[in-house]
Amino acid sequence: MNALGAVRVAILSAAMAALAAMATPAIADTTLRIFTGGQQRPDVMRKVLDEYQKKTPGVKVEIEVGGATSEAQQQYLNTVLAAKDSTLDVMLIDVIRPAQWAAAGWAEPLDSYLGADKAKVMSQYLKAYADADQVNGKVIALPYFADSQFLYYRKDLLEKYKRPVPKTWDEMMETAQIIMKGENNSQLQGFSTAGAPIEGTVCTYLVPLWGMGGELVKDGKLNLDAPQARQPFQLYGRMKQAGVLPKNIGEIPTDRIRVDFQAGNVIFAQTWAYVWNRLESDADSKVKGKVGVTMLPHDQGGKSATCIGGWQLAVSAFSKNKAEAAKLVRWLSSPEVSKMMAVLASNLPVFPQVYKEPEVLKANPWFADALPVVEGARSRPVTPRYTEVSDAIRSNMNAYLAGSKTTDTALGDMKARLTPIYR
Amino acid sequence: MLEVSPTLSRRSLSERGLGFVLLAPAALLLLLIVVYPITALVWNSFFDIHLAEPWRGEPFVGIENYRRAFEDARFWSSLGTTVVYTVVTVPGALLVGLGLALLANMPFRHKWPVRLGLLLPWALPLVFSGLIFRWFFEYRQGIVNDVLVRLGVEPLAWLTEPHLAIAAICFAIVWKSSSFMALMLLAGLQTIPRELYEAAEVDGATRWQKFVSITLPMLRPAIFVALIFRTITAIQTFDIPYAMTGGGPGDSTETLAMYIQKTTLDFLDFGYGSALATIMFVVSMIATSSYLRYTRRSAGRGTGG
Repeated sequence: MNALGAVRVAILSAAMAALAAMATPAIADTTLRIFTGGQQRPDVMRKVLDEYQKKTPGVKVEIEVGGATSEAQQQYLNTVLAAKDSTLDVMLIDVIRPAQWAAAGWAEPLDSYLGADKAKVMSQYLKAYADADQVNGKVIALPYFADSQFLYYRKDLLEKYKRPVPKTWDEMMETAQIIMKGENNSQLQGFSTAGAPIEGTVCTYLVPLWGMGGELVKDGKLNLDAPQARQPFQLYGRMKQAGVLPKNIGEIPTDRIRVDFQAGNVIFAQTWAYVWNRLESDADSKVKGKVGVTMLPHDQGGKSATCIGGWQLAVSAFSKNKAEAAKLVRWLSSPEVSKMMAVLASNLPVFPQVYKEPEVLKANPWFADALPVVEGARSRPVTPRYTEVSDAIRSNMNAYLAGSKTTDTALGDMKARLTPIYR
Repeated sequence: MLEVSPTLSRRSLSERGLGFVLLAPAALLLLLIVVYPITALVWNSFFDIHLAEPWRGEPFVGIENYRRAFEDARFWSSLGTTVVYTVVTVPGALLVGLGLALLANMPFRHKWPVRLGLLLPWALPLVFSGLIFRWFFEYRQGIVNDVLVRLGVEPLAWLTEPHLAIAAICFAIVWKSSSFMALMLLAGLQTIPRELYEAAEVDGATRWQKFVSITLPMLRPAIFVALIFRTITAIQTFDIPYAMTGGGPGDSTETLAMYIQKTTLDFLDFGYGSALATIMFVVSMIATSSYLRYTRRSAGRGTGG
């Protein structure tokens, strides 16, 4: 047989093999693929999904993990969604995303899947999440777990130096200075928060701004000319001068705060609820039993403010199994699963009644006081161009914390970048 | 007029035909991988494309995106940072690579450990090198600060102080790219005939004179090829600064390629991102053609004499 003949035979056999593979009867199982971030405890999600698989035979759920931080996950999903890829059925999205997802048409509206139950289902959630997940009257996602930022502190060190739990930023700085002087440990940091150019750093700017009565946007217009807009910068400037802020704060992403706290190197930290479970249950945690959680400090005469976080479950508009995916999402967004995650991962529940469940309180005693904090948490700007807004705020906050921009330059650059978006 | 026998002309025609058929897959691949994306890129740069705002449609805006780039402070600063990286790391990698190549060219009993040592940095993926150096320069747990503390010096904020961050990134880039330069220069070194060195020794030339008068001139073609490759990659620097600082602090270590990635994949502004990418393409073409023009001119001078 000559060369051309051999090639013909090879192509023909390959084609027949492909046809044979396609002709095999389809398996009855539906496989759903859910996307989650590395920080959102995929191990706990696996346990939860195993329960679902047990009670729903014929459905298998696989987890895909990606992105170490919120904006990194969104950048990955941007590519998947822009390509209208159907591999992912359900995605875990940050509370700041539904507005953009609705505008871009990436999420499948769940109204038709909720049907007549829609009003009843949405009224069960904490109002902030019911509001965040409904855009222009359509349900874009269902809440998975709530979150907001708290002040974690080393109660053993506060007891040792007989200091009360601080209520204001100045009290916190003073306490931190006293403890740092007394401990004389070069590794000990007074106060840690997100400082790297990541999503969490947006809260690093907004929390003090809100605590001092300021607003980023007022009546739809940018409000950075108000005097409060400078004050977050000035607060961190004072902390730097007091020696309370670590020198490399510009390098610190969200999970690093937990790592440093777990190693016993941080006195006060501004971070999210998930940290509690790791501090109390991780084998290598040096601070088991030594941690307290409370509201974030406020300015003199101000009120404590915090950033709302929390993750939502959206069904991809390009999924091939929308009905099954919607069923999965409804189950994952239920009080029963909320309780599981509160116990296993200290994820704040989205249902007010779960905060009072005895099992939940046993695992997370501070949840008793957490509900009013979550209910009063503020949301970051809601806009379809959120990625640009976030970049403007976080990169200027990062520049200020790293010392490469002054207050005026950082605020000026932030204004310059945000003005075209809010025109 | 040459009398060509019919059989000969048929054979030469089928040979040419065979030539085209054999070239066709390669040409098709090139068209698909090179020509089509670049054409699509330039085409997109004339439109306003926001993937997250589909209701805006994709209107034609002419050179609006380019005008926006020229007025964009962040474009100029990222271009400036790219120029800094290029100007520092291209000669830097050349010098270090030349040194490594000369070292590797010395007679060794077993050549393979030396070659392997030269090859490893080049074989390591860029992001890995970036992450490794990020840990080296990390403030609390990095070994660079560890050494400084042991020497009694205050630890430095390598990745959060803008000038130190650029220095750290340049160091990582030079480490990574010098191995590729070294490999190319080593190949060039090995083509230099030994008789030239022996003749120079007979004439009483010193090591330095041998290096300047024999090695460098004979290495010129290899140096130029290595420089072209290094310069084009330097203009496209992305992975190492992205892994080490993410562009921080603020935007001070952000390169043009990183700004393009942020504009397209983070902000989903594909029209503007395509315009920026086209500008980067033009800059690379200018750099390459200047190199080529220089080599042609100097080669002409050499032979014309």
